[in-house]
This record gives sequence, C-alpha cells and structure tokens, in this order.
Amino acid sequence: MSAAVYTMLGRGVSAAKHLLVFVAFILTWEVAARLGLIDTVLLPRPAEIAAGIVELYVEKGSIYRHFAITFYEAFAGFVIGGGIGLALAAGSALSASFRRYVAPYAIVLNVTPGLALTPIVIAWFGFGYSSKIALGAIVCFFPVFVNALIALTRGDEDTIEMFRSLGASRWQTFMKLQVPQALPLVFAGFKIAITTALVGAVVAEFSQGTAGIGILMQRYAFALQMGNAIASLLSMSLLGLLLFYLIEILDDRIVFWRRDARMAAVSRRRRAKWDVRSNKTST
Amino acid sequence: MSATDETSALASSGQWSWRIVANHVAILAGLLGAWEIGARTGFLDPLFFPRPTDILAGFWRLYVTQGNIWDHLGLTVAEVLTGFVAGSVLGIGLALLVGMSDRLRRYLKPYVIISEATPRIAIGPVIIAAFGFGWTSKVAIVMLVCFFAPFVNTLNGMVNVDENEMDMMRSMRASKWQIFRKLMLPDALPEILGGLRLAMASALGGALVAEFIASNAGLGVLINQYTGVLNMASAFVCVLTLTVLGFFIFRGMEALDHWIVFWSDRRRTEQVSRRRARAWSERMEKRT
Repeated sequence: MSAAVYTMLGRGVSAAKHLLVFVAFILTWEVAARLGLIDTVLLPRPAEIAAGIVELYVEKGSIYRHFAITFYEAFAGFVIGGGIGLALAAGSALSASFRRYVAPYAIVLNVTPGLALTPIVIAWFGFGYSSKIALGAIVCFFPVFVNALIALTRGDEDTIEMFRSLGASRWQTFMKLQVPQALPLVFAGFKIAITTALVGAVVAEFSQGTAGIGILMQRYAFALQMGNAIASLLSMSLLGLLLFYLIEILDDRIVFWRRDARMAAVSRRRRAKWDVRSNKTST
Repeated sequence: MSATDETSALASSGQWSWRIVANHVAILAGLLGAWEIGARTGFLDPLFFPRPTDILAGFWRLYVTQGNIWDHLGLTVAEVLTGFVAGSVLGIGLALLVGMSDRLRRYLKPYVIISEATPRIAIGPVIIAAFGFGWTSKVAIVMLVCFFAPFVNTLNGMVNVDENEMDMMRSMRASKWQIFRKLMLPDALPEILGGLRLAMASALGGALVAEFIASNAGLGVLINQYTGVLNMASAFVCVLTLTVLGFFIFRGMEALDHWIVFWSDRRRTEQVSRRRARAWSERMEKRT
C-alpha cells in the first residue's frame, strides 16, 4: 500500500522535474532569442511558435482541414502499400519459387530511394490526392514486405513437425501457426511503414499540391513566417504520433497474447462464449 | 528492425545454380520483351512505361553523347557524403557524451521520442528558408536526416550494457574511461553501425527531396526537369542511376559493418585474432 503511494509520489516528482527542465529550456531559448543570440529567422522565439499554434488552431482554425487531408493520404498510402507488401510476402512464404523470382525486384525497389520517384509519380497520377497516396504506398511497401516475409518463414521446426504429425494441411499450418507467430513482427513493420507513408505523402505535397500540412508548412516557411511554419511542423509530429499509436492500438488488440492483462481478458471472454455454446448443445 | 539489415537476409535466402540464373534471365527478358512490344503497339501508355530501348538510348545519351548527368550526379553524391559524415559524427558524438550521464539521458528522452515521430525531411522547407537555395541548405538537410538514427541507436547501445559485466569491470577497478573503451563502446558498436546504415539509406532520399524543393543542380533537379517535359525515358535513366548508386552504398555500408564489427562473423574473428596474436608475439620477442 505505502509502496504504491511512494511510487506514485516518485512519479509525480519526476514528472515535475521534467516539466521544470522543459520550462527552463523554453525560458532560456526565449531570453536568448530576445537578446539576439539566436537568429530568429532560423529558429523563432517560443512565444512566436505559441502564437502560431493559437493562430492555426483557434483563431483561423485552418489547420484541421489540412491535417485531415494529410492523414487520409498517409493512411490510404499505408493501406495500399502494406496490402501489396503483405500479399507478396504471403505468396513468397507459401511458395519458395515465387519468393525466388520476386525477391530481386523487391531488392531493386528497396535500394532505389523511393522519394526519388516523386516527380514521376506526380506526372503519372496528377496533382490531386492520388499522387500523394501512390508515393506513400511505394515508400512504405518494403518494410511491410520484408518484415512479414522474415516473420512468416522463420518457423520453429519442432512446432511445424508437430503440426505435420497431427495431420494439419498446408493451409492450416499457415493460418494457425505461421500467421499468429508472424504477427508481432508484422506489426513492427507496420509501425515503420506508417511513418514512412507519412513522409511520402508530405514530400509529394512539397513537390506539388494544393492542400495538406506539407504544403501549409512550405507556404509559411517561404513567406518567412517561421512561427507558423514550426507550428505546422509540430502538427506533423502530432500526426506522426497519432498514426503510430493507431497501429499500436491495433497491435494491442490483435496480438493480444503478448500482454498478460489483455491475454487474460480475451481468454475469459472466449471461455464465456464457449460455455454458452456448450450449454446450448447440452440442453 | 531496419529495412536495410534485412535486405541481405532476403538476398542470401535463395541458393544459386545455373538453372535458376537462367530462369531469372528468361523472366527478365520476357518482361522487358512484353513491355517493349506493348509500348510499341500502343497497348501500354508510354507515359507510364517508356520503352526499354528508349531507356537504353537515354543511358547512352545522358552518359556519353550529351554527358550532362555527370555534373549533377557528382553534386548529389558530394551532398550526400558531406551531410552523412557531418550528421553521423555529430549524432554519435552527442550520444556518447549524453550516454555517459544517466540524468541527462533521462531528461532528453521525451524530446528524442518527439523528434523520432516527426518526418525529418519535412523540415526541409524551413531549412531552405533559413539557409537559402544553395549547397549549404542541401547539406544541412542531409545532415539532419543523418543525425537521428546514429544518435538514437548509439544511445540505445550505451543504455543496454550488461549490468553484470559492468559490475565485473568495476570490481576489477577499471577506470570510467576503461569501462567506456573496453565495454560500452564495443557493446554499442553493432547498433551504432546499424544506425549508420539507416542514416545512409535515408541520406540519398534526403538530398533528392532537398533538390526537389528548391535547387538548380543535382540529380533531383534533373529528374524534375525531365518529367516536367514528360521525357520519361530520361527520368527513368536518372532513377536507375540512383538504384545503382543505392546498391553500391548499401554494399559499402555492409562491408564497413563487416570490417568494424569483426566479431559477429566467425571467420573474420579468427582472422583478426590470429593477426593480433602474431603482433603480440612479435612485440614479446622484441622485448626479450
């Protein structure tokens, strides 16, 4: 009991310390900028950034639309690129010769910096959303593909043996053994991929675009309104965190057996369902 | 963790025999042949699929008859290398400094997480507005892109030192410097090298994006110009050049990894320890 209180107290103290360090840092920055020690074109004062945040989020409220657009572009790109990556990885895991003949092209695609394709993708798909989505998909395809492939092919020999001796079909082995075993690593790939998809979407916006956080930031930066530019940059971090946690939540839901509490909850639920079903059959 | 690490695993997973190589060649030839015929008969849109022969002719034109790609290529490579060296040295150095102090590490952590979530290239326009359209801003962007991965990985490597080994070093009265030099640094090296690979993989992309945003020379500009006039074959030539460049960079980083972290490979370990033993015995002989 008292131990719990102490840890809570300790956490509060450490949070306060963090806050103190943060405030001190911001204050030094502000003072240094006001004294002219920092070039405010390069790095605006914290007060300017705060003003930018207020302007974008409260006064004008213009950022929400751009935020939603970039979110949509990044997420759609992730879904398409990740879907293709997963499908190719599943095919490669099921058939060795498929893997042999697909792998070289995947490697070639990987060593090419995907962002180099930006102008080409824009020429292909036009100035609208589709070019941003396409670039996001191209950029985020590889991490998903490689993680899924490695996870699917890295099976425990003994378990596979057991499956075989119990007469499991190829498909059953794949669905009941390989896929669940692969899921944690696949999600690790998703986490890398979704931030990469965001980069792809934003870079495509820099190149050509009419809406989205990337274009918003570029406009402010080129108008030398650095406070607003940094405010949009911070919104981009927020967007990145949001996308990342989205995958994290999905990870927690789907790969429930990695955390004990979730595992217990899911098995309790399944047990209850099972009881209901067996009661029905017995009566 | 990293995509580049696993490319090698993917590449080495198949066994090679002459039949498989022949199959590969046949598949590639079939693809290219279908592509060429499709483009010639107008079945494939030449905007999406410039004819392979056109791309080949483009190689000849860009590299030999016009020779205009060399300057751009050289500039981009110079940007990448300068930015990479500066950024990774800064990242590793700062992480080593920070890693020595527990407290500093704890207070820096939230900021590192936030900067991890920010798409790094996204800061491009701000940097270009601050440093202008020239060489400096490109190098600054590449530097920034190359800073974080080595920084974070080095810090991680320093944090994850085995406590038992640390205790042993301490009980043998190793100085702080000795602990750092003989335990923390070698322990962290594989991860540092992993960070360098990640940085190098994104450096090329960073330089290109910087050139797309605002520049007048470099491969990114060349690609932009060619797609602007819908000369897709020449744009593809530039992209394929980047593929080759990326491949060599990848191989180079792999070799560097192999050379520095020699103890991850058994053959290399034996080789190095044999060399060291010889040097040692020679020194002993001299002394007697």
